[in-house]
Amino acid sequence: MAKRILITDDALFMRVTLKNILTQNGYEVVGEAANGVESVELYKQLKPDVVTMDITMPEMDGLQALKEIRALDPNASIVMCTAMGQKNMVVEAIQAGAKDFIVKPFQPDRVLEAMSKLAA
Amino acid sequence: MMKVQYVSPFAEAAVSVFEMLVGMTPERGQLAARPQLFTTQQVNIVCGITGPVEGLVIYGTSMNSALKIASKMIGMPVTQFDQLVASAIGELGNMITGNSASLLAAQGFGCDITPPTIIRGTNVKITTVDIPALVIPLNLKELGTFEVNVSLQERRKLAA
Repeated sequence: MAKRILITDDALFMRVTLKNILTQNGYEVVGEAANGVESVELYKQLKPDVVTMDITMPEMDGLQALKEIRALDPNASIVMCTAMGQKNMVVEAIQAGAKDFIVKPFQPDRVLEAMSKLAA
Repeated sequence: MMKVQYVSPFAEAAVSVFEMLVGMTPERGQLAARPQLFTTQQVNIVCGITGPVEGLVIYGTSMNSALKIASKMIGMPVTQFDQLVASAIGELGNMITGNSASLLAAQGFGCDITPPTIIRGTNVKITTVDIPALVIPLNLKELGTFEVNVSLQERRKLAA
């Protein structure tokens, strides 16, 4: 069965790009969230296998959404996918339970590598 | 006076983002000072920086160049500045700003960035009070030119 992914990014372009990469490689994109609030809500509804999470977003940023989702489900698999690659961001995300940290811009292979490690 | 050390990370980040995203290496032009932030480009991406260094960065380019860059990013030719194109161009600004913030953090200025805003229209004048801007033009060859306007200062110490 295809792994079910929830994409979180405020940029339509990035949601389309990630969706194309994932669906062309056998993953099922079950939901798309445009901010942290939507992501937490969709996580509860959809129970995806993996969540991709941008950081800089309106309403609720990705670090806060990461913490809220991990509080709801300590086993949630969340991959940060953001232009903010500075060390303290990576450390904070990993400490809060993120499974991987992808810095934009990325090559499609980097996303697939993260997914295959998690969704195996 | 704005320090040049805040500007170099943006030029460096812009070059590496263009290399990765559109597969070409831009040529950096001459750094120039502007007494206030002024941009006459057709498409402008505005990103805020907050933290120990704060202010605005505005990326400016022509509509024609924006469409060419977006076509490369999306992977098919686009001719209208629609929602997807606006999103791609905004994300370009977000990526350059985010990568710049990482370079600033490495210098000891750990900053946060705001989501991008796009302003379209020529003769747009934006004044950031008291912070002069430095401008780096990038030559994107067949894609046109792309200006990076940086207007940052160290956060003022609060009066005791």
